[in-house]
Amino acid sequence: MTEDQDRDSQPVIMPHSYDGIQEYDQSLPNWWLFTLFGSMAFAFLYWMACFVTETAADDRVTLNAELDALEARQLAAVKNLDDATLWKMSRNTQTVAEGQAVYNSLCFTCHAPNLAGIKGLGFRLNDDLWVHGNTPTAIFNNISEGITFEGKPTGMAAQKVLGTGRIAAVTAFLLSTQKEGSMKTALRKDEPSQLNP
Amino acid sequence: MRKKPTRESVTTIAPDGARHFLQPAIIFGPWWKARRAVAWLLIAFFAALPWIEIEGFPAVFLDIEHRHFHLFGTMLGLSEIWLLFFVITGWGFLIFATTALLGRIWCGWTCPQTVYLEHVFRVVDRLFEGDHVSRAKIDAQPWSEPSKLLRRGGRFIAYLFLCWAVAHIFLAYFISIPGLYPMITDAPLAHPAAFVAMAVATGVLFFNFWWFREQLCLIICPYGRLQSALIDDDSVIVGYDEKRGEPRGKPARDISTGDCVDCRRCVQVCPTGIDIRQGLQMECIACTACIDACDDVMTKLKRPTGLVRYASLRELDGGQTRLLRPRTVLYAALLVIGLIVATVAALRVQPAAFKLSRPPQTELYALSETSVANVFRAKIQNKDEIPRRFFISAQSAGTKVTVLNQSAGMVIAPLTELTLPLTLLVDRQDYRGEFNLILRLRSEDGAISLLQKAHFIGPDPRTLQK
Repeated sequence: MTEDQDRDSQPVIMPHSYDGIQEYDQSLPNWWLFTLFGSMAFAFLYWMACFVTETAADDRVTLNAELDALEARQLAAVKNLDDATLWKMSRNTQTVAEGQAVYNSLCFTCHAPNLAGIKGLGFRLNDDLWVHGNTPTAIFNNISEGITFEGKPTGMAAQKVLGTGRIAAVTAFLLSTQKEGSMKTALRKDEPSQLNP
Repeated sequence: MRKKPTRESVTTIAPDGARHFLQPAIIFGPWWKARRAVAWLLIAFFAALPWIEIEGFPAVFLDIEHRHFHLFGTMLGLSEIWLLFFVITGWGFLIFATTALLGRIWCGWTCPQTVYLEHVFRVVDRLFEGDHVSRAKIDAQPWSEPSKLLRRGGRFIAYLFLCWAVAHIFLAYFISIPGLYPMITDAPLAHPAAFVAMAVATGVLFFNFWWFREQLCLIICPYGRLQSALIDDDSVIVGYDEKRGEPRGKPARDISTGDCVDCRRCVQVCPTGIDIRQGLQMECIACTACIDACDDVMTKLKRPTGLVRYASLRELDGGQTRLLRPRTVLYAALLVIGLIVATVAALRVQPAAFKLSRPPQTELYALSETSVANVFRAKIQNKDEIPRRFFISAQSAGTKVTVLNQSAGMVIAPLTELTLPLTLLVDRQDYRGEFNLILRLRSEDGAISLLQKAHFIGPDPRTLQK
């Protein structure tokens, strides 16, 4: 097309020269500058909102809030953890499944995957004989705080590791093999374990 | 207003940095027709893949939610993510090799940006707003003009619909058609995340094709920039035969002019706004529109075609294109090596996965009266469409290891994963200190056999002696 128009102005060459390389003085695309200044503005607003005025929660605050809420739920759960509640939990398939998963990741080491116990390591847990207390709350406390047996500390003391919610779930899983009212106390269990290697 | 392209500045960026919109003319030449055929084939392929069912799953279904990646009847889990290395490097070497040989053939023929822009969205442009002259006129009109409102508004709605359709097909790759359908028919609030993803994808596509266009190729696309390092004098590019064309001028007046009649047809059709006669430029996506335009004019003038053609810089300079160069040999060799390794690796992928770890917060080993115990956590994934019974056994040189509770094996349902505790016992009498062993997962039908190395930890054997 003959009516092509030349540019309003030819690009200017900058006065400097480095290693013989010169550059034109050209505008960056406006949209490109928009992304640059846009991200600067966002960074400033983010900083103002999260760290200066603290009107918006940053990730750390959000995370802490979530952890607090979790802890609150656990503490609230502890208040209500009586025998009746634990029995009820043991009849909830979802809680039992959750407890079984925890058991299979941790407790099975000494009590065997099928709860039959391993001789010399951990008691059998699928019979009705209980050495350290025959109530659901006693089982919960034993998992949570650990046990002193024949003068030696034993058990997990898993409160810090698992937290109340999961300990309750494991308790529910153990109770799922038990019948309410038929858990007996035993002084110690000497019967040979099924899994005696 | 049309700008005259120069080599110093980018045509589509005005001196003040504003966006300069092009309205390139269309040339229905043989190259354009060939490119259109390829484009429609690629679009059909892209749109069909989620619909084709192979062994009960879409041909390509990247199920991120369940971390199952179905590819043409094979399911890969996250445990096979390392195969991605070969896909990415293979893709890289393929592009390196083709670029060294054929220049930006990818950009011009197969890049989705070109395929959709040239063969879908520019078609819509012509449909609603006519040819490049008509479109430029509409550009110049004020919005108060009813015909502009109607034509551009119609185009806007057509663009929106097309982008929405492409976004749906794209999402179907990740949630499958059966997963997508209820999301389309239910209320948007029933699937807020999917709805937002779809809205954002549609919006991004719309912005890209309506406003951004060639800016993506010029400024954002890393491959567009890599090409300057990948192309050399022997790479075939879309080039102007300066020796034959120059000096350009009106043919009737002067007998000494070259074949270029300076009709500027090649500039009119260029989608990135360059003048190909100024040589190889960063903006050129090798789309061949200028070849078609020039050949058309040359045919009318009864001159030989090919004044603008696929040729290497060396060929345009009068030399011979060399195919065998260090870089083509190197890229091809790397590509072949990659292909071989990828094939071997892919053939070795079994329809199951077996991983071992130590459960956290447990003792490294436990001692009973008669044995030393180590506990592992095994993760077994059945990636096949049939349930399988698996067994785990231990093999070690010299020490007898018993795996507890594994005599009956375990049945794992199709496409599920099982995490199970694994207790290994060694008799105290057999225990001679820590040792390495191999755990073997095998299926009952013998189709699968996977090995994992493990280390059995225990006390110094002397402390066990009574």
